[in-house]
Amino acid sequence: MRKIAIGLVIALLATVPWIIGGRYAFHVATMITIMIPLALSINLTLKLGQLSLAQPAFMGIGAYTGALLTMHLGFPPVISILAGAAFAAAIALATGPIFLRIKGVYFVLLTYAFGQIINLIFQHWTSLLGGNNGLFGIPKFSIAGLNLGTIPGGYYALGLVVALTSYLALRLFETSDAGTICDSLNEDEMLCRSIGADAHAWRVAAFTLSAFIAGAAGGVYAFYIGFISPDTFGFQASVDLIVMNVIGGPTSALGPVLGAIIVVPLLELLRDARQYQLLVYGISLIFFVIYFKQGLVSVIERPRKLSNAGHA
Amino acid sequence: MPAMLEVDQLSKRFGGLIAGDNICFSVQVGQIFGVIGPNGAGKTTLFNIIAGHLPPTAGRVLFEGRDITGHSSDRIGRSGIGRTFQAVHVFKNASVRENLRRAEVIALRHHPFAYLSRRKSARADQCEIAKAFGLADQMDSIAGALPYGLQKMLGVGMALMSSPKLLLMDEPVAGLNPSEKLAARDVIRRLRDDWGITILLVEHDMPLVMDLCDRILVVNHGKPIALGTPAEIRSNTEVIDAYLGEEYEFA
Repeated sequence: MRKIAIGLVIALLATVPWIIGGRYAFHVATMITIMIPLALSINLTLKLGQLSLAQPAFMGIGAYTGALLTMHLGFPPVISILAGAAFAAAIALATGPIFLRIKGVYFVLLTYAFGQIINLIFQHWTSLLGGNNGLFGIPKFSIAGLNLGTIPGGYYALGLVVALTSYLALRLFETSDAGTICDSLNEDEMLCRSIGADAHAWRVAAFTLSAFIAGAAGGVYAFYIGFISPDTFGFQASVDLIVMNVIGGPTSALGPVLGAIIVVPLLELLRDARQYQLLVYGISLIFFVIYFKQGLVSVIERPRKLSNAGHA
Repeated sequence: MPAMLEVDQLSKRFGGLIAGDNICFSVQVGQIFGVIGPNGAGKTTLFNIIAGHLPPTAGRVLFEGRDITGHSSDRIGRSGIGRTFQAVHVFKNASVRENLRRAEVIALRHHPFAYLSRRKSARADQCEIAKAFGLADQMDSIAGALPYGLQKMLGVGMALMSSPKLLLMDEPVAGLNPSEKLAARDVIRRLRDDWGITILLVEHDMPLVMDLCDRILVVNHGKPIALGTPAEIRSNTEVIDAYLGEEYEFA
């Protein structure tokens, strides 16, 4: 009952931009739908008991790849976005086996370093990626002859599709055997391995999925904004995503969604006053860590672990 | 027919410390095989090498004639060797039912690609296992709240979910009270008699080992000093000198 109610509230919220109308409302709403998959992708790595700071890099890889494929090779945008996501996933698949051998704070540092390296490539590969000036003139997203730029909320609708798909993918992951295994690995790896779990393969698989989701969000971002530059995919983006997870609550896929819905409008409001943004972050983090350790989502649904134990 | 498990000239050195020196033994199908020795004798090292947690310095481990030396613990878990832990390893916040379910899921989907193949039905039945280990009326209890003995039993039940042919048991009765020890002894016997599982156990509890095992290996300072039936071990003067005398009276 409660879940249906929450679903309805979010569905109603999703229609608000069309009711309000206007470019600004659509812009904020579109940014929310782009940040939701990213917050979900970092949430997936948290499920493995690892905090990845590489997600903005995967977003950037998806964004640049998607933009270049359409700009230079004339791929249809949908194909470009999927190819960009697949490329980000491929890089996660190649690096994951190395990264995921390392745990805890070292993993955080390693993924931070990886993010910086990718960002340096964005900055210095001027001939292909445009360097610090970024990549201009990314064509508008069009599908079946329909240019999304000409429809009110066209990009928002695209973002909604991607956000909803990511959310459902994460829910499916959480509730399937894969989720059971990742939770179990996180709780007692030695036990899981003794029963035969290939812990490493499972971690790499989840990391790859998280990169695919981040890459897809990056592709949508590139076609929506029409311009991408390295600083979008830097460390600050990781901080934003972590804050969304803390405020929304990392224990359930709904948490990062709520986090994005709350944090993105704040980011947009405070776009010209970075110092206030940090202040708001600081205060809200202290508030949530003290009073809502499991985030907003704990107010709505009981934390998953406990409810599992209770019902099963 | 090859032995279930064959340990061939296994040695392990940690720097200058010799934790295992030229250990040879084999466990035949259907045996309950015990490894005993004083603290620091190298029992746990031997156990960890067989279970895939440590690579040996030299020597081989063969399972049903196949070389499994240096395989990772999960690969060994998949090849038909189960293990239980000295300290309790269960998902403490989950119910008994959920623990068994998770173990089943892990055993069936050990690798992401296991999704590509059709899901096989459970090889060992959860209810059957729960019944066999005295957990049937505790299915909805939280594992962490069970008595220690039952938590250990749950650990055995979870190990069975991967349908092992050989079960490695690391001090199965450590930390149990006398009545729990007796129950555990019966369970270990039934694992062999009813489930057809060959057992290799490492244990301190001398009466249990003498009572339960078909064959016993005694190690001391990393060296194997005796191998034989309980009667042979009991009368072996070297064993009595090294270990048995004092400890046996204790127990």
